[in-house]
Amino acid sequence: MNANTALIWLIALPLAAAPLIYLVGRLSLRASNNRRSPVVAWLGVLTLIACGYPLYFAGQAVLAGAPVELAVNAIHLRMDGIGLLLAVVVLLLGAMVMLFSTAYMAGDRGEEKYYALLTAMIGSMIGLGCAADLFNLWVWFEAMAITSYMLVAFYTTHPASLEAGFKYLVQSATGSVFVLLGIVLVFSQTGALDLLEIRNAAHSPDPVLLLAGAAFLIGFGVKSALVPMHTWLPDAHSQAPSGISAMLSGVVIEAGLVALLRALGSLSSVASAWGGLLLSFGAVNMIVGNLMALRQTQVKRLLAYSSLSHMGYMLVGLGAAMAFKVANGAAGGFFHLFTHALMKGLAFLSAGALLYTLHIARGDHDPLTLDDLNGASKRYPLTAFALSIAVLALGGLPPLAGFMSKWQIFVAGAQTQNLWIILLVIFAALNSVLSLGYYAPLVNRMYRKTPSATVENGKPTPKIMAVPIILLTLGVVIFGFAPAWINWLTAPAAASLLAVFGG
Amino acid sequence: MNLSIPGIIIVAAVALLGIGFYGLLAVRNLIKVIVALQILVKGMMLGFVLAGRLAGNVTLGQSLAIIVIVVDTIVAVVGLALAVQIRQRIGSLDIKTLTSLQR
Repeated sequence: MNANTALIWLIALPLAAAPLIYLVGRLSLRASNNRRSPVVAWLGVLTLIACGYPLYFAGQAVLAGAPVELAVNAIHLRMDGIGLLLAVVVLLLGAMVMLFSTAYMAGDRGEEKYYALLTAMIGSMIGLGCAADLFNLWVWFEAMAITSYMLVAFYTTHPASLEAGFKYLVQSATGSVFVLLGIVLVFSQTGALDLLEIRNAAHSPDPVLLLAGAAFLIGFGVKSALVPMHTWLPDAHSQAPSGISAMLSGVVIEAGLVALLRALGSLSSVASAWGGLLLSFGAVNMIVGNLMALRQTQVKRLLAYSSLSHMGYMLVGLGAAMAFKVANGAAGGFFHLFTHALMKGLAFLSAGALLYTLHIARGDHDPLTLDDLNGASKRYPLTAFALSIAVLALGGLPPLAGFMSKWQIFVAGAQTQNLWIILLVIFAALNSVLSLGYYAPLVNRMYRKTPSATVENGKPTPKIMAVPIILLTLGVVIFGFAPAWINWLTAPAAASLLAVFGG
Repeated sequence: MNLSIPGIIIVAAVALLGIGFYGLLAVRNLIKVIVALQILVKGMMLGFVLAGRLAGNVTLGQSLAIIVIVVDTIVAVVGLALAVQIRQRIGSLDIKTLTSLQR
């Protein structure tokens, strides 16, 4: 298969499958007598597995050195290292979440819509990574955002999830107005929309373009949860179905970050301050995320706040790369993006498995609190072990994947030989220790406390849920022992970032 | 006083943005929040038309504005659907009653 055809298939397949899944779901629901249609879930899984085939060919071409360029009329797509990284992460975590949801969402009202929307969201995120045009970037970004609004507010019978969905919609839509403002300013000033053309046209520190950069930072910052714009995140992550929490935390906020890097990359020669700004947002994100997570009593809210601090680590790595041209920083930032998707995906899926067995399967929709976890390892050894691995990796314990990616970021920070950045790295390391303050008690509760009444009354875990959990656990452990195995993916992404920021 | 056409459009776009932001901050009814968001985006549509004129590519600017209309309508539809659900489940459209997640 030729690389251009492969890129079309990679994006078109999930987008075309989404309405098909919905239709098949409606028809099979009408035909079945128990209001269940397991076929939709497996259609979704099948679509994502089928996407692996074009991904292989497109990926080979990108790894061979040349970005895959494609122009469909005025829509200009370019898949470079960053786009490939995002596509791999999205498809990997998406397939895991689909598999998990086959059991988690079984029999829920509107199941067919769930899989259709999830497939469409995955397709639009792959497109977002490949957009080569500022306006096109915004369209993909909105497509992703609109599908995620509906998925966050999926349990329409629960007031809390409606509230979270509405809050998310208003904040995210306001953010997208800022993005539009940025596009208007750039377009009026340079007359170009293609990211490379803008980069060639925008040289001088023009105040209008600086304003545009600030608007991008606010607009995409809402989606990637930079700290003053993060308030939607804990609500949306905790109220969404668990699979969607894993997607939101594992890839959607990272897709926002990629969009931000693309937009700022086109303005890279306007100001040199972008890297420094990202570094300072990184510092604030880490400390606020950790301090807020410390005082949470619900497991999913705790994990949501820890996403903020992990976004902070990524920003430190990428910001160091943008400001000081250290390739290690970019590679470390992208490596952390990858490991965070694995770790946070695993954490949300195993917490979701516990939530399912302890609450949802018994018919109540209470949140999973920390007290519910007491003694969970006695009845659910696999889930408890997976959740422990996930949180310890998130906390950065040495043989696990989270340590390796954080370590690469810290090394990159030290390589800048700048006093402030070295202080920032020390601050980040201390934050990592601080984060164990809420991760370690989770493990302690599961293994050392006597089982709570909730655990004693819990239902057994569905077999199919164990599959994605085991696979992700293996991933977190393997990439901890052999971090070099992912260099083929992170090094090209780092190279594309540095190519834009003049490395 | 003689304002040029771009001048008038800039004033109108900024005024729409200002009204929209004021609405977002001041209004308590969920449907009016969606209206405020719509006003904000209308300001940006005007901005696209103006940007097309300034960049010397009027058709491109206007076609972008049309795409913005499409996307923006979908957002409004989803938002209003959520507002309807909230009215049905919680029984009020007042933003102050959405407090189950405050902590």
